[in-house]
Amino acid sequence: MVESVLQNLTYFVPETALVVTFCAVLLADVIFKGRPRIPWTIGLLGLIVAGVTAFQQTGLNRPVFDLMIVVDPFAVFFKVIVAATAILIYLMSLWSDEVKASARRMGEYAALLVSATLGMFLMAGATNLLMIVLALELTGLSSYVLSGYTKEASDSSEASLKYILFGAVSTGIMLYGISLLYGLTGATDLIGIRLALEGQAMTHTPMLLISSIMILAGFGYKISAVPFHFWTPDVYEGAPITVTAFLSVASKAAGFALMIRFLVSTATPSLGVDVMAVVQTFEWPKLIAIMSVLTMTLGNIVAIWQNNLKRLLAYSSIAHAGTMLMAVTVFSQNGVAAVLIYFVVYLFMNLGAFYLVMLVAGATGSEDIDSYKGLGHRAPLVGVSLVIFLISLTGLPPTAGFIGKLYVFSALLDAQWIWLAIVGALNSVISLYYYVRVIRNMYLRDPDSAPAPVVLTGAQTVLLMVFLVPTLVLGVYFAPLVDWAHASVALFGIR
Amino acid sequence: MDLLEPIIKIAVVLGALLTASAIVVLFDRKFSAYIQNRYGPNRVGPGGWMQSIADVVKLVMKEDIVPKAANRFVHDLAPMISITVALTTFAVIPFGDTIPLFGKEYNLIIADVNVGILYILAMTGMGVYGLTLAGWSSNNKYSLFGGLRSSAQLISYELSMGLSLIGVIMIAGTLQIDDIVRSQTGYWFGWIPQWNVISQPIGFITFFVASFAETNRLPFDLPEAEPELVGGYHTEYSGMKFGLFFLSEYANMIVSSALITALFLGGWHLPFAETWGLDPLVLALLKIGAFMFKMFIIISFYVVIRWTLPRFRYDQLMNLGWKVMLPVSIANVLATGVVMLWLTR
Amino acid sequence: MTLEQLMFYGLGAVGIGSGLLVVTRRNPVMSALSLVLNFFCLAGLYLTLNAQFIAVIQIIVYAGAIMVLFLFVIMLLNLRDERALSDRLSARKIIGAGLAFGLLLQVLYILMSAADGFPQKDEALAVSTGTVEVIGVQLFTTFLFPFEITSLLLTAAIVGAVLLAKKKLD
Repeated sequence: MVESVLQNLTYFVPETALVVTFCAVLLADVIFKGRPRIPWTIGLLGLIVAGVTAFQQTGLNRPVFDLMIVVDPFAVFFKVIVAATAILIYLMSLWSDEVKASARRMGEYAALLVSATLGMFLMAGATNLLMIVLALELTGLSSYVLSGYTKEASDSSEASLKYILFGAVSTGIMLYGISLLYGLTGATDLIGIRLALEGQAMTHTPMLLISSIMILAGFGYKISAVPFHFWTPDVYEGAPITVTAFLSVASKAAGFALMIRFLVSTATPSLGVDVMAVVQTFEWPKLIAIMSVLTMTLGNIVAIWQNNLKRLLAYSSIAHAGTMLMAVTVFSQNGVAAVLIYFVVYLFMNLGAFYLVMLVAGATGSEDIDSYKGLGHRAPLVGVSLVIFLISLTGLPPTAGFIGKLYVFSALLDAQWIWLAIVGALNSVISLYYYVRVIRNMYLRDPDSAPAPVVLTGAQTVLLMVFLVPTLVLGVYFAPLVDWAHASVALFGIR
Repeated sequence: MDLLEPIIKIAVVLGALLTASAIVVLFDRKFSAYIQNRYGPNRVGPGGWMQSIADVVKLVMKEDIVPKAANRFVHDLAPMISITVALTTFAVIPFGDTIPLFGKEYNLIIADVNVGILYILAMTGMGVYGLTLAGWSSNNKYSLFGGLRSSAQLISYELSMGLSLIGVIMIAGTLQIDDIVRSQTGYWFGWIPQWNVISQPIGFITFFVASFAETNRLPFDLPEAEPELVGGYHTEYSGMKFGLFFLSEYANMIVSSALITALFLGGWHLPFAETWGLDPLVLALLKIGAFMFKMFIIISFYVVIRWTLPRFRYDQLMNLGWKVMLPVSIANVLATGVVMLWLTR
Repeated sequence: MTLEQLMFYGLGAVGIGSGLLVVTRRNPVMSALSLVLNFFCLAGLYLTLNAQFIAVIQIIVYAGAIMVLFLFVIMLLNLRDERALSDRLSARKIIGAGLAFGLLLQVLYILMSAADGFPQKDEALAVSTGTVEVIGVQLFTTFLFPFEITSLLLTAAIVGAVLLAKKKLD
């Protein structure tokens, strides 16, 4: 027993590193009470170690701890994304006014970011219903508290409260669906569920339908798909901007990883079994297509009316989730690989946009789009970078956003989902309007009153380059990313 | 369904418990009096030993005053919860070995559930409601404070109580209290009885202290301290409802003593009694007597400590519960596990 | 009507009744107490399924700890009575309740139509799997990993709770 546990632990190194980091950060916070930098540094080192060891796990493909979690290229991909996001958010927090204002709680902030990352690592690899629930709860709990970090501000407490209530209800509904699914199949691991479903000749189809929809509700809440998105704008607006950035990228990535793994493991047939027999019982693709259309459309249309750039970026992240859901609709290797590619691209451009919003808000004290008037002339680097990020978010060449959208649309067209591709293209056009509005304010409008200067220090500029350079480079040289994505998805064996 | 046996047992135990509560009240008052160098009640009956009956009669005949703005339903419910919880906990405590009556062996335990200890923890957890609801329903600031403080105290010490029992469970290997008592009937080196107070000293101490806190006895009686909170959670109670609270406190005390006896002091085990060659019925009665004697010792401890130690302040109480008792209980579990592993190596 | 069936119907009826009381009472303390009653009924239902451990743990954890904290908060916040149920209803809530009721009807229909497909209760298996020993063995062998992750979850929750609740000390 002990030997098997120890042997399993060798495949569990990144998560172990995160656990040790979590405890170390908490201890450091207690021991070095007055110096918030020390827990932060420990957390950063731990995240780097976790990211590197996760990357070293590429090429492995084995279940760990009795099929509780699995270490495979798909999980590794998402772990690297989450770790990279967490490291970048750590660096961003150095210059965040909101975080610095509550520097005494920095230790807990660092610790909770690490525990959220750990939860997302587990989400990426979970293959057992029990682990899915636990990982969702771990991520969720850490996120609820992080979004209420600046608790003195009333909208931060409100954001946290809404997040908790919504998360608790969604998790409850998902658990009910999971319990029904367990009752149907008698198995808690995903492979066992699929085998049980295939062997049962589909006698309990309506029950399967209800439990599947409930589970989908839980996933939909995590990725902010419509109609489970109601928490997103308020939480993203109220939380400190670093936490918003973290949630919008890492939480969504982990949620998508979980959803894709769940759908692919349970709803697609094993080799040799008739495809139609399984898929026809429950029309996953149609349901997800409708969800993606609603998500994209709602995200884009409501974003048009936003005046607060943070809230606008929140709605735009909903729209991006919708675009990625379009790719999930296509249950093919191209489709899932497109999601992975989109996530890498999305990481850089979204984090970059939030980073700039944070810096500008720190200098001018406002996140309104009106306060960006004339910014392009006052701070050229900031202006140009923001333009590049916004163009990338729209999906125009030669930025990386275009590549993401390109692969999504090509997967759709390959699988003959023409109407969905058209809707997606229309949504991109709508999104162009509200992104360009910011650009117009920056360059073509004069500021109202005496504007505050926005000056970046050297270190801040370096971090900006970390976001900017990949956004540009991946727009032209993206072959390694595509290869990596395809390699990560090949194990699913879907054609 | 053989219901007659449990019903008789319940009737006997209930009757004994309620009578014992009344007697313990009197014992508390007399003993405290002698400790404080005064006489105590000595008017009613010879030497004052019928005072309890007089008190009960008085309480029953008193008017039941309920504050006008109080929540009547909860106000009536709270003492019911208190006394019920106090009495039902006794259902799983074995007060004797099997007794041979009318040709059959009867187990002297009302319900030998296989999750006995968990049942006890559940019932002590429920005891919090009586106090909390009493404090809230009286619509009185002092009652509310008393109720809240008392529930905070109770839930804090519930943890150490449960954890200190884990050592006992590890040694006995079972959750059934009857089996735990039987596991203490052996002897080490031929003459030391295998009582858990010897093999789990720290567990005994933590459980002992925690049960003081759970029964709201000094030095943990801040919730009902007169100088602090008028009467705490039972300020607005009068008549028999107050009597029920009073009774439930002493019933709690008796049940805690019974628990400590059963889990740590060997229960009904009378050392070397099997070697005296007595008639089985006499032996069984002697064992019941041994149980009651041990309980009596613990109850005396309760009374003596009441008049020896000053009351804890609220923050000292919380400090003790969370920062001292909880780590000690957890360390005890760890130490027990290590020693057990080492012994079975 | 065996004792078991009687217990089931009785506990079920009281459970549903107390559940309804939870959502319709104006006084939050009465709602909390009804919820405690509901948990007791659930514990009784678990006992009819031979799951003694779960039943007792339900009482210890849910009714004995979580609901005490609920009551604590209600009393500390000194919540007043809500307005009457008829005042609180709005069109949105009625539609929501209607949708939930529709879902309930669907689930009931499915369960009724598939009633013969469910396995019969295996008495011997039920008795042997509900005990503490069996659960303990499973918890520390097959489900060791989720058990440890749960401890991490609780630690993160405690850290979060302290962060949200701690007051400034200066």
